[in-house]
Amino acid sequence: MPDVLVADQLEMVYGEGDTSTRALKDVSFGVNSGEFASIIGQSGSGKSTLLNILGLLDTPTGGRVILDDQDVTALDRTERARLRNRAIGFVFQFHHLLPEFTVSENMTMPAQISGRRIGEEDRERTTRILDLLGLEGLANKNANELSGGQKQRVAIGRALMNQPTIILADEPTGNLDSANTEGVYRLFREINQDLGTTFLIVTHDRGVAEMTDRVLEVRDGELVQDLRNTYLPPAGG
Amino acid sequence: MLIIAGIAVGIGIQVFVGSLITSLQADLVDSTVGSSPHITLLPDDDADFVSGALVGEVSDDPLVTTAIPVRRLSGIYTNGEDSLALSVTAGTSDDLDSIYRLSGRITEGSYRLDMAEILVGIGFSEDADVHAGDQLPLVLPYGTVGEYTVAGVFDLGAAAANDRLAFLDDASGAAALGQGADEYSAIEIQVEDVFASTETADRLAGIDGVSVVDWQDENEELLSGLAAQSGSSLMIQGFVLVAVALGIASTLAISAVQKTRQIGILKAMGMTDGSAGRIFLWQAALLGVAGVLLGIGLGYALIWGFSFAPVDFTVRPQASLILISAAIGIAVALASAIIPSRSTSRLDPIEVIQGA
Ligand SMILES: Nc1ncnc2c1ncn2[C@@H]1O[C@H](COP(=O)(O)OP(=O)(O)OP(=O)(O)O)[C@@H](O)[C@H]1O
Ligand SMILES: [Mg+2]
Repeated sequence: MPDVLVADQLEMVYGEGDTSTRALKDVSFGVNSGEFASIIGQSGSGKSTLLNILGLLDTPTGGRVILDDQDVTALDRTERARLRNRAIGFVFQFHHLLPEFTVSENMTMPAQISGRRIGEEDRERTTRILDLLGLEGLANKNANELSGGQKQRVAIGRALMNQPTIILADEPTGNLDSANTEGVYRLFREINQDLGTTFLIVTHDRGVAEMTDRVLEVRDGELVQDLRNTYLPPAGG
Repeated sequence: MLIIAGIAVGIGIQVFVGSLITSLQADLVDSTVGSSPHITLLPDDDADFVSGALVGEVSDDPLVTTAIPVRRLSGIYTNGEDSLALSVTAGTSDDLDSIYRLSGRITEGSYRLDMAEILVGIGFSEDADVHAGDQLPLVLPYGTVGEYTVAGVFDLGAAAANDRLAFLDDASGAAALGQGADEYSAIEIQVEDVFASTETADRLAGIDGVSVVDWQDENEELLSGLAAQSGSSLMIQGFVLVAVALGIASTLAISAVQKTRQIGILKAMGMTDGSAGRIFLWQAALLGVAGVLLGIGLGYALIWGFSFAPVDFTVRPQASLILISAAIGIAVALASAIIPSRSTSRLDPIEVIQGA
């Protein structure tokens, strides 16, 4: 399996001089196509920093990011925006839906951003994804008429719409109760299996991480562990 | 949306005030010089008359619309102890009509100037109790008395003109002054644009043996009054525009701040800086166009409303002014979008993501 996303000796320093924070220290790893992986670590360990750099939202102070065999570190803002639109699906802790728009309008937002006209194909895909998300029949509902769990599922659907190379999720269930959390991870797994979408999910919950196939652990900005499909030692061990 | 109403009011005032001032001034200028000569050629100090042959030469000037030869004399009418002075202009009826536009302003009798016929103003007619068909004896410059028949009475709309002006047939004028066929007191001229008369006057000053009188030289007060009025109207319009611009700018700025989060997330999903910036340009253009259209409607409504005002004056909507106001309105709207567009364009999605 080829790596679709590679972190190569990533360094990230926030600020300058005495007050600077070294948020990432020489982080290197690759994510295979179709992989279902998680990043775990304590608060402040650098998980979001890492994910934002991998998602081309931020630029590292050192090292490279390679997406689909292309070194994307040196791209300009517009090129990075186009690449994010095409190749990356984001799911954040907050759903970030546009409240004035319907569910299906929110879902097709990435397609519209790419400048494409919304056609029959997009509508079919919207329906299919809404079915997969258990949101059938809600396409024309206004986004803020949904429950918190439903909103987060729409946000996941939106991330899937452009058939991205990888979905990057940062604490996607941080605002949800345990039942909804379960539901979202089962959904991720289904999407991963049905559509072959690659996932990289940030969480600080070891129980959640155990549901993934690979766990990358970050501590104080360093990648300290990379375990595949095996037994995870209990927290703090 | 309140801001559209704001723009509409601004543009409406613009259209109305602009049209009002322009019409008012046009009206004032028209009543001042619309039916009188703009430029007059008089014999200079060494000459007793101007040659009628100059009319052809003057008419060749492309800016001259009318040039007529006239004879000028004063006449005194005595009725018992009262005596009334008349300033008489003699010429052919067609010539005189082309400058003084008398034929449409006859209130009594008819417009014609046959041999020994005279037209008098309504003010004089009432004061002297002389009416169409009556005989009018006038004491002339050389002490002779001319006996004329009143062919008609005119109303030029200004008391001074109605009291003092009279028009006499050409032959009687020539006889009274002892002028030959080619000898005239003056050549009276109208030009296309009354405000550009000086240019023509300067050119005509090159003709030998004449001195040139320009209406603008004799109406300096009126002209400086008009200039002051235009200036203050421009200033009002300028302030209205500034208010409109500030209104749009603040609306867009608030909207930009409110939408920062959403735009940040759209950028995270791949919206480019350029498209993000254009959101507000579009919004401003939309606001501008809607406001301008409504404003023009409002301006017309005000002009229409004004037509019911108890004044003897109509405001004509000024097409060029409306176009300029519309263009400026939209340009101002777009200009006020520059700052929010720039900040939206520069917004880094990471700020929104991290701040969430
Ligand atoms: N914009 C920034 N400016 C300065 N320091 C920052 C910035 N963002 C993050 N940091 C610092 O970098 C380190 C890593 O932060 P990061 O947000 O990646 O942690 P995290 O693992 O995502 O934590 P959490 O689980 O609380 O979300 C922290 O010490 C943080 O204070
Ligand atoms: Mg984080």
